[in-house]
Amino acid sequence: MNLIRADKLSKWYGEVIGLNSFSVDIRPGITGIVGPNGAGKSTLFKMIIGMIRPSQGELLVMGQRPWLNSELSSKIGFCPDYDNLPDEATGREFLRLTGGLQGMRGRRLDGRVHEVSEIVGIDYALGRKIAGYSKGMRQRIKIAGAIIHDPDLLLLDEPLSGADPQARRALIDVIKGLHEEKGHHVIVSSHVLFEVERMTSDVILVFKGRAVASGHISQIRNLIDKHPHNIIIKGEGMVELGKRLLERDYTVSVGFDGGKDRLKVEVKKPDQFFDEVPEMVLKDGGKLEEMYSMDDNLQAVFKYLVGR
Amino acid sequence: MDGEMTAFVSLASYKFKKILLNKRVVAALAVAVIVVGVMAYASTQDVERLQDGTILLDVMFLTLFLPVLVMLYSTSVIREEIEDKSITLVIASPMKRITAYLSYYSSLLLALMLIMGAILTAGFLSFFIPQGMDMDALYLYRDMLLLVVIGCVVYSALFLMVSVIIKRAIYFGLFYAFIWESFIGSVPGRIAEFSFRHYIRSIGAGWIEFMEFGNAAGVGRSFMILGVVFIIIIAAGLLLFRHKEYPC
Repeated sequence: MNLIRADKLSKWYGEVIGLNSFSVDIRPGITGIVGPNGAGKSTLFKMIIGMIRPSQGELLVMGQRPWLNSELSSKIGFCPDYDNLPDEATGREFLRLTGGLQGMRGRRLDGRVHEVSEIVGIDYALGRKIAGYSKGMRQRIKIAGAIIHDPDLLLLDEPLSGADPQARRALIDVIKGLHEEKGHHVIVSSHVLFEVERMTSDVILVFKGRAVASGHISQIRNLIDKHPHNIIIKGEGMVELGKRLLERDYTVSVGFDGGKDRLKVEVKKPDQFFDEVPEMVLKDGGKLEEMYSMDDNLQAVFKYLVGR
Repeated sequence: MDGEMTAFVSLASYKFKKILLNKRVVAALAVAVIVVGVMAYASTQDVERLQDGTILLDVMFLTLFLPVLVMLYSTSVIREEIEDKSITLVIASPMKRITAYLSYYSSLLLALMLIMGAILTAGFLSFFIPQGMDMDALYLYRDMLLLVVIGCVVYSALFLMVSVIIKRAIYFGLFYAFIWESFIGSVPGRIAEFSFRHYIRSIGAGWIEFMEFGNAAGVGRSFMILGVVFIIIIAAGLLLFRHKEYPC
């Protein structure tokens, strides 16, 4: 059975569209939802947890409609992208509150507070006020609050946002562990594809309120590779390099960009291109000073996928 | 205790502490200082002990500080959680929204009764200790305390309900507390009957010998009207909170 089934789901906030005829089937396991800010990821999560209801279309979560569905809410854990933590409370007080709201109390609650704080690695700071937590610690305590009732489905909205690289690595391990070791189904959103790629191979691309592509990460990667990338190269021997690039089948166009030391290249297979360019430059005795992709982000792919 | 009751108690006890310890305690302390100052000063003057004590408590609590202080606290309890998005914890939990609303209301009411009761007690003692305490004074204290509790019950229900639908509920609160309750409630004629103050003071006039109130409705009728309006307001608040979307 699909974990989530969305059929032509739409949500309007006045004149602003949150989701626009969004259709997708999400299977059990870890699923990544990738899209730029404002794409509709958070709107989808809030609909899944029942904070908002669809303007149109149907959403089934584990076979049930989520709006005003307490039974379903008890099976879902939600970690929002915004900071909803009470700064005046300690980590332990926060977890006791979230557990209490799930109907837990007494020894069972105490045991679970201890357990989840160890899972996310925040047990050492439970007695401290949340106001003094770092961004990474705040994300951890939010995740701990979301899993305190051992939900079947865990929704993590931009859980890596704002965390430093070390905290990101640790959080990615925690999230993978939540599925692999604890058995939670996880839906995690991000606007950075490679971060999601480190957690799962099942990805849904969301753009302007629509699911523009979904499937295995390799399919998404192929789509990215098919889409021409604009790349700037600066250095010596750019004329020779341009001639060599024109011979390659992945090259769409080559031109100078404000001078003969600067090339603007449009290529279809950026990975192959980046592998070969240094060797080509060295062969002609040139020197590479700078090389970067002008649209090395998902935005261009999204535009490509929706035909804009 | 089942899960729903556990959730009710967890939220209510958390909110109760938060209400008591938030920055509005400064406003409550300021009111307490004013009340104690005025009552202590009045006690040094040549006054009719029970009559003037009643008038002072009536003016300061039933007319002025009760609606204002209750408004300050009640308009923020749910609205602040919506604004700072911490309401997500409650809305995303399996706790029924009706239970959550009643939990917010219970914690608010308990905290308000404690705060208003403490201020009333301080004001009462600062007047009647120098003037002389006796059973009549204690009866007055008891009746005033009950009137303050009735006021807390109805005013907090109104302002809490309004805060669910109006973003800047405090502006409505200020208008209602100062213009409607204080001004319209004092205008002669039937229009005054459209204020809570009219019925709270009517009950007071039935209970307290020295409470002067010419247009008082009967105690039973006042209780009935306040009770019916309270039930309507609570039901409206429950419905609005339950069906509200929380896009945060």
